[in-house]
Amino acid sequence: MKTFDLMRLCLDNLSRRKGRTILTVIGVVVGTCFIVLMISLGVAMDISQQQMLESMGDLSTIRVYNYSNTDAVPKLNDEMIAKIKAIPHVTVSSPVYQPQNLQAMLVGGKKDRYQMYLGGWGITAMYPEALDAMGLTLQSGEFLTAEEKNAKTIKVMFGQNAAYQFSDSRSKRNNYRDPYPDQYGNILDPFLDVYKDKIQLKTQKNGDNDKQLVYDLEITGVFVEDWAKADFTGYGVFMDISTAKRLESEYMKAAGIKQTETEKNKGYTQAYVKVDSIDKVTEVEQQIKDLGYETSSMESWRESMQESAKTVQIILGTIGAVALLVAAINIINTMTMAIYERTKEIGVMKVLGCELGQIRKMFLIEAGVIGFIGGFLGVGFSYFTSWLINAFGPMLMGSSEGGMLGSVMGGLGQGGTISVIPPWLAILGLTFATLVGVLSGIMPANRAMRISALEAIRQQ
Amino acid sequence: MPPIIRVENLKKIYRIGNEKVKALNGINLEIERGEFVCIVGASGSGKSTLLNQLAGLEKPSKGNVYIGKSNISQMTEKQLALFRQKYLGFIFQSYNLLPALTAAENVALPLMFKGINKKTRLAAAKVQLEKIGLGERLGHKPTEMSGGQQQRVGIARAFVAKPKVIFADEPTGNLDSKTTDQVLQMMMQLAREENITFVMVTHERDLAAYADRIITIKDGQVLSDVKTQNHPTAQREQDNTIHTEEKKEQ
Repeated sequence: MKTFDLMRLCLDNLSRRKGRTILTVIGVVVGTCFIVLMISLGVAMDISQQQMLESMGDLSTIRVYNYSNTDAVPKLNDEMIAKIKAIPHVTVSSPVYQPQNLQAMLVGGKKDRYQMYLGGWGITAMYPEALDAMGLTLQSGEFLTAEEKNAKTIKVMFGQNAAYQFSDSRSKRNNYRDPYPDQYGNILDPFLDVYKDKIQLKTQKNGDNDKQLVYDLEITGVFVEDWAKADFTGYGVFMDISTAKRLESEYMKAAGIKQTETEKNKGYTQAYVKVDSIDKVTEVEQQIKDLGYETSSMESWRESMQESAKTVQIILGTIGAVALLVAAINIINTMTMAIYERTKEIGVMKVLGCELGQIRKMFLIEAGVIGFIGGFLGVGFSYFTSWLINAFGPMLMGSSEGGMLGSVMGGLGQGGTISVIPPWLAILGLTFATLVGVLSGIMPANRAMRISALEAIRQQ
Repeated sequence: MPPIIRVENLKKIYRIGNEKVKALNGINLEIERGEFVCIVGASGSGKSTLLNQLAGLEKPSKGNVYIGKSNISQMTEKQLALFRQKYLGFIFQSYNLLPALTAAENVALPLMFKGINKKTRLAAAKVQLEKIGLGERLGHKPTEMSGGQQQRVGIARAFVAKPKVIFADEPTGNLDSKTTDQVLQMMMQLAREENITFVMVTHERDLAAYADRIITIKDGQVLSDVKTQNHPTAQREQDNTIHTEEKKEQ
């Protein structure tokens, strides 16, 4: 028998007992709908968690620390940074250096009226080429590049609000400007314009004999504040790592500060590493750990959150699966009934030379078609229900906070989408429903195949 | 020419509770190609059981049935289905048409199982239905036809695939005497035209008058085996058959 004829026969049979077919299909629709919706809740949960984590920090970055003084851990020097860069999937690897020994201030205005004290922590230095790849954005100007004009002019970048740290040394009151609205609701500009006003870096004199070093600053750009990506984008001053080292050593020479051998050879204490995809973070992080360093990333957070999300998803999925199981039993029942009803017909077909495999196929296809139609409608209905939940769910939750719905949805983003059906879920739902149909058909189909032709045609 | 159907010491024993009922008790038969054979006997004689064994619808307890060169008693269900599809046709007492299909579709059914495409098989069905005078009822469902018409559709269905042998189980059992005559004539004529071997079971002895050969069954054994004057070889052999058969049994 040709497949086309077989299909037609199946559809004929299904449409002949419309009522029962429809009821069975409804069962599958409900089952599919349930399972798809339950998983969609889990998916939405995943997405909102991801968003939450992203707001807390860049998920694809790893912080590397080396505060140990033992020889057991290799030095975190430029060579090692390059080695980390060579690990597959690493896009950025840069030391994070803060010249702690440098005592200096930034000054500007008439007679250095406006001053900003820079401890060693105020300056953050990295490889300038890392900036772009870190995904930082500029409020104005451009990213710093490696070349220096001359030894006395240094290029720096300012965090968004760094200029607000200038204070007025002449005035006793109101000697600071804030980046937020004052009592009249106005946001005042900082005392100095970083591009127009001349700003200098002056090292501190500890003794009268100390030589004060003075450098002109060229501010190439101002960052947009983004604490998740880098903290210096807020109030920090950024410079090239070689510049920072030079300033520090020039200052120490002038101030007569001696560095111990161990301090000199220590290497960096911190490094910034970025990976090309979130999935690779664990892998790369482990490799860095294997080198002997301490690391931290959002990944460990993400993992534990995902773990709990997965548990919830499994529970939700199981509830859905039970609904589909009921639908499967329904299909088995319908198909078995169909066999009893069509025993004689099956017998006649057998006597007339219909091959056994074809009879089996016929029942499998019929069951599969029920599953497919149910799955198709179920997925469609799921999209509709998902939309309903997203549109009206938050209202319900708002009114019954702490209620059942509230606690189940607890992990979901505030006011975000509650249910998300990505294409893969729709395809999965449809495939699963069809599969359940076919599987439910196996038992009845085998039974139909085994019907004795003689018994069947004798039946009146 | 070798016989088309050969039955060797065929036995069928049913168990009903602890009792064994011998429905067939050692039957030996040979049916020639193109013969129109009538198997007669009282109800419970075992004639239907014999037909079921011949057609491979039931496995014998003992003995073998050969159709052509194939021993159908040794075939699996699967092989049997294919064998029936290729070589056998059936006519039932209760017509057994599929209610959802039209007359033409019912007739085309065996061709569909053979994998013949829709256009070709419906055309063949049309030709067959026209031959038996139902050309105007192609699109009718079985419920829209009389018993005689339904059985004619059943006959067309049996002949459409040009089988080697057609088995008919009380084909006129549900029809009135006038229709019975028509139907019998039709079956005989078609079988002769196509040189198809025809084996029919009936409990009405007078119907057997149409046949070439009448085999009477009683208590699961062949009581008599007579070739009528209709038989193509009747002129030469006359009544010898019965004696030879009896000799064989001993």
